Amino acid sequence: RVAAAMALQGPGGKEERTEDLLQQDHLQTVITARRGLEEIEPSTRDTLVLPWDRFSSWIHCICVVGFDLELGQAVEVIYPPHAKLTDKEKTSICYLSFPDSNSGCLGDTQFCFRFRQSAGRKTSLHCFLDQFDRDAPVYLKKDPAYYYGYVYFRQVRDKSLKRGYFQKSLVLITKLQYVNFFHSLLREIAPEYFEKSEPCLEAACNDIDRWPAPVPGKTLNLPVMGIVMKVRIPSRHDKPGTTQIVQSTQQTDTQVSIVLPTIHEVDLFRHFCPVFFHIQMLWELVLLGEPLVVMAPSPAESSETVLALVSCISPLKYCSDFRPYFTIHDSEFKEYTTKTQAPPSVILGVTNPFFAKTLQHWPHIIRIGDIKPTGDVPKQVKVKKLKNLKTLDAKPGVYSSYKPFLNKDEDIIKQLQKGVQQKRPSEAQNAILRRYFLEVTQSFIIPLERYVASLMPLQKSISPWKSPPQLRPFSQDEFMKTLEKTGPQLTSRLKGDWIGLYRQFLKSPNFDGWFRTRRKEMTQKLEALHLEALCDEDLSLWVQKHTEVEAVDLVLKLKDKLVQAERDHLPLKPDTLKKLQMHIETIILAFPEDLQSILLKTSTT
Amino acid sequence: VKSRINNMYCMAVFTLNAKMATAPYNYSYIFKYIIIGDMGVGKSCLLHQFTEKKFMADCPHTIGVEFGTRIIEVSGQKIKLQIWDTAGQERFRAVTRSYYRGAAGALMVYDITRRSTYNHLSSWLTDARNLTNPNTVIILIGNKADLEAQRDVTYEEAKQFAEENGLLFLEASAKTGENVEDAFLEAAKKIYQNIQDGSLDLNAAESGVQHKPSAPQGGRLTSEPQPQREGCGC
Repeated sequence: RVAAAMALQGPGGKEERTEDLLQQDHLQTVITARRGLEEIEPSTRDTLVLPWDRFSSWIHCICVVGFDLELGQAVEVIYPPHAKLTDKEKTSICYLSFPDSNSGCLGDTQFCFRFRQSAGRKTSLHCFLDQFDRDAPVYLKKDPAYYYGYVYFRQVRDKSLKRGYFQKSLVLITKLQYVNFFHSLLREIAPEYFEKSEPCLEAACNDIDRWPAPVPGKTLNLPVMGIVMKVRIPSRHDKPGTTQIVQSTQQTDTQVSIVLPTIHEVDLFRHFCPVFFHIQMLWELVLLGEPLVVMAPSPAESSETVLALVSCISPLKYCSDFRPYFTIHDSEFKEYTTKTQAPPSVILGVTNPFFAKTLQHWPHIIRIGDIKPTGDVPKQVKVKKLKNLKTLDAKPGVYSSYKPFLNKDEDIIKQLQKGVQQKRPSEAQNAILRRYFLEVTQSFIIPLERYVASLMPLQKSISPWKSPPQLRPFSQDEFMKTLEKTGPQLTSRLKGDWIGLYRQFLKSPNFDGWFRTRRKEMTQKLEALHLEALCDEDLSLWVQKHTEVEAVDLVLKLKDKLVQAERDHLPLKPDTLKKLQMHIETIILAFPEDLQSILLKTSTT
Repeated sequence: VKSRINNMYCMAVFTLNAKMATAPYNYSYIFKYIIIGDMGVGKSCLLHQFTEKKFMADCPHTIGVEFGTRIIEVSGQKIKLQIWDTAGQERFRAVTRSYYRGAAGALMVYDITRRSTYNHLSSWLTDARNLTNPNTVIILIGNKADLEAQRDVTYEEAKQFAEENGLLFLEASAKTGENVEDAFLEAAKKIYQNIQDGSLDLNAAESGVQHKPSAPQGGRLTSEPQPQREGCGC
């Protein structure tokens, strides 16, 4: 036995030994090269960036959509010219960049839309290699299947034109859900562009291409067209509710002209104002992923209301599709409006009166009129019966037969009403409402978090020589039992049928998405703990006691682990990967000469 | 009793013991396979089709060895195949001795549209016989069976060659996937059968490994409680 082990380890002549060391160096180089990108500081990485790389970490492309009397809407310009958009995507952008009903919209209007990326198109490399997305809060993570479009639309009289009107949109297409930021950016670029035309757009693109990447947690100064915008990119490590407001500091910010307190949060109070009395019910509908349509007089109102709805359950991510502005030309129009199936779990924002008829069968409809200045005190209104919603002229309000699970919270309504009477600033009203939603959402989610954490196996069940232990399965009954003692009653004064709400929520796409994320995080944690345990073992000793085929199997598996750990960014203790790499090298060097060279060079499929 | 002892020896070479019973990728045995044959007969494509279920259209030349693994099931037993894909080029043959060592199965591949690759089989077979143990299961595979129009080697003559030399035989296509699965499975079944009936007469010293106390017994892995230390749980 000992002799055999010696033979396995026995080094060859001196010359071969040197060769081994060279090969070892080679392995070292390969692995360092692979890890390299991670370790280089952003400033150093800058030197490797190609033109348009920085630009595309913010924006996929900028489109100019105009109105041709014969063709209708058409994409006139795309920046950068090489940006890829399929014909279908271009068509979507055309329709979504213009108001789709004769809603006036004179002057300048801003709104946003969201559309599905064409199937079959390769997801851009950027999306996959994006190390920044990893640290984004879950509700701001990019969705590989969707793009956002941020629109600045101008419609003004111009007698020099054939139709007497100038109608044009400047549209930013991006995966990022930074609505405030992109609207502010457009307010700088678009008017300039409409007045001075193309060179100005080129200049703006050049500026953007010099911006630092949107790294979560960083505060950035972003120069564009002679001004500097200061923003902070939210991070998953931010404590929910503590909006990290960007402060203006005198010494360093002499050139900063715009400080954005938040890049993504919409003004909840302003957008919920028309449906003020029903906010709590709307929160439930969004939480449960109920089909919801917002019928608004303009794309600006529809898009902002939809975004407000989606964000009211933050820090939970709204996992179904939502369309801040949806038109009859949308490629999903048939899919979403069909009467042969139950309405899908989506939130649509529409302006075209046609939808009043098409979506008649939808269970929950929000009709908003023109958003009034915040000076008005909203009056007490009841939820309206769906049968009363016949035409576009139906009164503003919420149309639904939904019975909320939780009792109505009069306190928040009173508090906000009082604010209106006292002319409390809109930002303060918004902060109060946002905090209210956050508290309800957290009260709701904490018991789930607590229960799911208990599905994690015990540390002692992790053994390096067994597969990582698995999470216990989620059991609805078991979870419901925990509610008796550690339910939302601990953190919320709201009464009502919490159990019923949970029961419904567990069937919803939002639960599914939330649980998937948690399960993935926990599984990765287990993988990491297992890998750490394995790295602490004496693997050389194990190899001596096992056959060559088994030892080769171990090497292949360890190499796979190394690749996986780097690819998935497992939450490992520092140095674990180095240890793992050293283990691999040590085991390989214990093999006979000929096998050493094979394993050093090898790859696996 | 003799058969039992034989079994123990076979296990030593061919198996890695079962891991935790609840593990999703639990397996009872590990078989080393090698794929040999002339350059360009489609060895890497066969491996790729088997492990990824995809045809690799522009397969680069293999340099040295590439490994593929996949877990299959034979008679209810999970078996991990550790497949060594060798370079067919002549200049790499000097370093192939370790490829053969401890191989439980060998896939010997030729191209049915190129007679020369078939003519070289006897020299590949000589290597395989000299460098593996007598119980290594060898399966002959006529690849590119989808290219019927360009056929240069008949099924019958290859079949006869296989029979004369005691080889399993199949025609397969890495492109369409036809018979690829079977090629790997048939060899595994044969190896497993040899373990079961104890017909393997193995020179343990030559393989350089010790047998382990655990031996297969009528489908069950061990007669004693499972030793915990076996197998990396990766």
